[in-house]
Amino acid sequence: MKWGLLALASALLIYPFILTGPFYWDVGVTFLLAAISASAWNIVGGYAGQVSVGHSMFFGIGAYVPLLFYQLWGWPPVAGVPAGIVVSLLLAVAIGLPTFRLQGHYFSMATIAIAELIRIFVGTWDLVGAAIGLQGPAVGRAWWDLTFRSELPYYYIFLAVLGVVLYTTYELARSRFGYYLRAIKAGERAARSLGVPVRQTKLKALMLSATFTSVAGSLYAIKTGFIDPESGFGILVSVQMVIIAALGGAGTLLGPLVGALILVPLQTATNTFFGGGGSGLTYILYGGMIVLLARFEPGGMHELWDRIAPRLPRRSHAA
Amino acid sequence: MAGKPRNRQAAVADAGLAKMNDGRERREDKLSKLCATLVAAVAAALSAAPLRAAEAVKIGVLMPLTGNAAAAGQASKAAVEIAAEIVNGKHPELGNLPLATTEGLPNVGVAKVELVFVDHQGNPSLAQQLATRLITQDKVQALLGAYQSSCSFTATAVAERYGIPFLVGDSAALNITGRGFKWVFRTTPIASDYAATYMRFFDDMKKEGKKIASIAVVNENTDYGTSVADSIEAAAKTSNMPVAIRIPYSASSTDVSAQVLQLKEKQPDVTIFISYTSDSILYIKGMKNLDYLPPMVIGDDTGFSDPSFIPAVADIAQGAMNRSAWDIGKPGTTTSKINDMYKAKTGRDLDDTSGRNMQGFFALAEAINRAGSTEPEKIRETLTRTDLKPDQLMMGYNGIKFDQTGQNILASTYLIQLKGKQYQLVWPQKAATASLDWPMKGWKH
Amino acid sequence: MLLLQVIVGGLLLGAIYALFSSGLTLIWGMMNVINFAHGEFVMLGMYVALLVVVWIGGGPETFGFAAAFALFALGVCVYLSLIRHVMRGPMLAQILSTFGLALLLRYTAFWIFSANFVSLPQTSFSGTLNVAGILLPVPQLVAGVVAAALTIALHLLLTRTTLGSQLLAVAEDRSASMLMGIRPDRMQAIAWGLAGASAGIAGALMAMSYPWSPSVGETFGLTAFVVVTLGGFGSVPGAMYAGLIIGLVQALSAYWLGPIYKDIIVYALFAALLWLRPQGLMGKA
Repeated sequence: MKWGLLALASALLIYPFILTGPFYWDVGVTFLLAAISASAWNIVGGYAGQVSVGHSMFFGIGAYVPLLFYQLWGWPPVAGVPAGIVVSLLLAVAIGLPTFRLQGHYFSMATIAIAELIRIFVGTWDLVGAAIGLQGPAVGRAWWDLTFRSELPYYYIFLAVLGVVLYTTYELARSRFGYYLRAIKAGERAARSLGVPVRQTKLKALMLSATFTSVAGSLYAIKTGFIDPESGFGILVSVQMVIIAALGGAGTLLGPLVGALILVPLQTATNTFFGGGGSGLTYILYGGMIVLLARFEPGGMHELWDRIAPRLPRRSHAA
Repeated sequence: MAGKPRNRQAAVADAGLAKMNDGRERREDKLSKLCATLVAAVAAALSAAPLRAAEAVKIGVLMPLTGNAAAAGQASKAAVEIAAEIVNGKHPELGNLPLATTEGLPNVGVAKVELVFVDHQGNPSLAQQLATRLITQDKVQALLGAYQSSCSFTATAVAERYGIPFLVGDSAALNITGRGFKWVFRTTPIASDYAATYMRFFDDMKKEGKKIASIAVVNENTDYGTSVADSIEAAAKTSNMPVAIRIPYSASSTDVSAQVLQLKEKQPDVTIFISYTSDSILYIKGMKNLDYLPPMVIGDDTGFSDPSFIPAVADIAQGAMNRSAWDIGKPGTTTSKINDMYKAKTGRDLDDTSGRNMQGFFALAEAINRAGSTEPEKIRETLTRTDLKPDQLMMGYNGIKFDQTGQNILASTYLIQLKGKQYQLVWPQKAATASLDWPMKGWKH
Repeated sequence: MLLLQVIVGGLLLGAIYALFSSGLTLIWGMMNVINFAHGEFVMLGMYVALLVVVWIGGGPETFGFAAAFALFALGVCVYLSLIRHVMRGPMLAQILSTFGLALLLRYTAFWIFSANFVSLPQTSFSGTLNVAGILLPVPQLVAGVVAAALTIALHLLLTRTTLGSQLLAVAEDRSASMLMGIRPDRMQAIAWGLAGASAGIAGALMAMSYPWSPSVGETFGLTAFVVVTLGGFGSVPGAMYAGLIIGLVQALSAYWLGPIYKDIIVYALFAALLWLRPQGLMGKA
């Protein structure tokens, strides 16, 4: 039995009972959402090494479609989640095919441009609320509207989704598909010569990543009850996913989780202690941290841990 | 994925895979233990944040103190702080302003009002979280805010859920008071009010013989500009005022000359700008550069009211009109004294948006005092019965009285005009302190 | 007539785009690194201009040079402390490094200068010329012409001087240039300095006509990417033509379709370029 994972799962499960109260639960929900989004990004950005800085396009679609279903036909937003996934998948295929031909930086720039384009376009499209955005049900009509008065149900729903994403990533990583991803990350030409079906693999990774990112967007919209072009498709949404995954260790299973564990409380704390003063310290810290990370420890906390761990006192254990 | 290896290459891959996985699993197990410890540590750290008990009357104020709207948020913060000073201290020179003459809230045991500011950075999800924090951790008795309509949407929903009164001082989107909420009150006029004001103004001008055959609407395309522009177009339709052109644009544009040229082509008699600061200045300069002086320009507050607008374009924008519910007034008046206090604190004149938040605060404090209690339900109930007269207000509303949706039905606005280096109140007639120049002189003076 | 006006306006702004993008393309061509903080360099150039005017009352020549020097220094610093180390590392690190730098610069600017929009007090250039019915505001005219001249100067520097050929040698083949006695490290630092300087001066030129705040860096950065992609990576003449074209496309889209659509058109053009012709007009395939 993997005691570490068990301890982690237990800690996450009982967190709302350690730190009680709606505010701490809300922080917990924010943390889970960040971990889900970053883990979703991790599949294509971390494992496959395709650094997309435009993943907000999938997040935004996942957030808008459920609320659109509510706005147009009065359906409970959760009914729109599968449709959001379908649209995200279509976008992933439409984008993936031409864009994956591009190398490194070009790919990243393309993702930024496309996400921006979608953001501006959505901001002018009246059907989806243009610049004003869309709202969810203000007061829940029944349980399936998922407008809970307390954060607690959201916490456990999000935790379950995180579990699914992590489990999928785990199975993926130890399968041959995961091996292909790592080969591609290490060097595409070499991977191709080894017989790795590069294009198919990258596309599948993007599609899987897009699915989970879309779900994350849907969760956000259902919980917040509101979406607009900036909160759905804004560049900070994309950047946050990348930073959290990188901070913890992109391409590792728990990297995004660790990243979220560090960043979300840090953001909450700086906002609490400095926020009222309005100096914008949060983002300066953010930027500084990312630069230091890139410069000194690009592998994130995971790599740092890998370097430190062997030096810690050993304890023999059975695998 | 899993399955029989098809060839030797894949078999080698699978073998290597198994070995890598084994090592990785062991490392990841260690990492998960690290994570678990981290979770516990984080929980411990977060819980060390002090919980504050409710002593004074606490009002939570949500503003964008960083990010794109930070300038407006900081200005409003300063304004609300001054308002709290006025309420908490003795200011007999401020006449009929509620709670000015007394110290604190007399009916609530002379309690002082304590403000708790939070920075939602313009992020609606963060506004939601901060509203939750203010209510459950800081235990505020009421909330005020939040500038961006998107943030007001989410934060007011939290207030509604917990049963804490939320007073919206400045957000214009129609739907904030349109959701059947009981705990949300709004003192400021909304987009449709502004549109109606403009139409009434045009009627008055036409009666005086001025030619207004068509108008143009130029709006920045976030929720603010879009909602006001939509309302104006709707009102123009019912008033049979042709809209020659509507130009939505992005507020972060560097260059607006193409838009100015579009206007020059259409030659509307009045152009209404719904813009932020940088773009407002750009437009005025662009119009001068391209030699296009329309008969009249009206700015929809915001950009035209920003402290940097006048210094930047006063010489070339003489006669430009602006809408505002705030007029500094003659020296010696209550409004002028308030402006002096604000100027002493920030070095700038009070602007309309900050003024509206200040007014919202006064309305809130007055209601809490009248309720004689800090119980949310009592405060809410007294708010529904609020009936402030114009001479008790600092803003130019016709009063403060809320309807069942929580909207102030007596909210209204003036139109002011740039003369020299200051705006003067020119409309409506009964409140005007200066004559209206039409057409505007612009740079030809 | 109005159309001609639109075209001229677009070209003048396009020349400024060309100037700051030429620095970006130089770095890209030499080191295969994208500077996601390039827009922030332009923004800082604008603030340097403001500080010069406010502190020592300098005129355009003064603040132009000041912006050039300050941003040259920043570019070199950024290269030596950061880029040099991440260049040979994983892609994620390269992208994150300049992204993080962009955030750092932008929010530090917010902290120091606040979010208020600022503009330069009237400089020695003011007024509008009327040339054959076309109105040319003097600050924009001067900015456009100077920008075009500087971009051409940069091109000449690269192609006609020893320093230039050394820079291009490193871009072409790093190891070979080492064998020729050129120090690639020094050349790359200089390239970053030049990129910073070109961005800084472009900012100072724009500051003469347009108000700004720390948030403008984001838009300029994206514009620079589009121009560089259209022009072809590594090609300064390409950046020149592309800058003018993008300025023109923006102005015409704004005039014919409406200002909102101008951004959509530009980004769509960008995406199309990346898919159909990533090497742009004049880049190597």
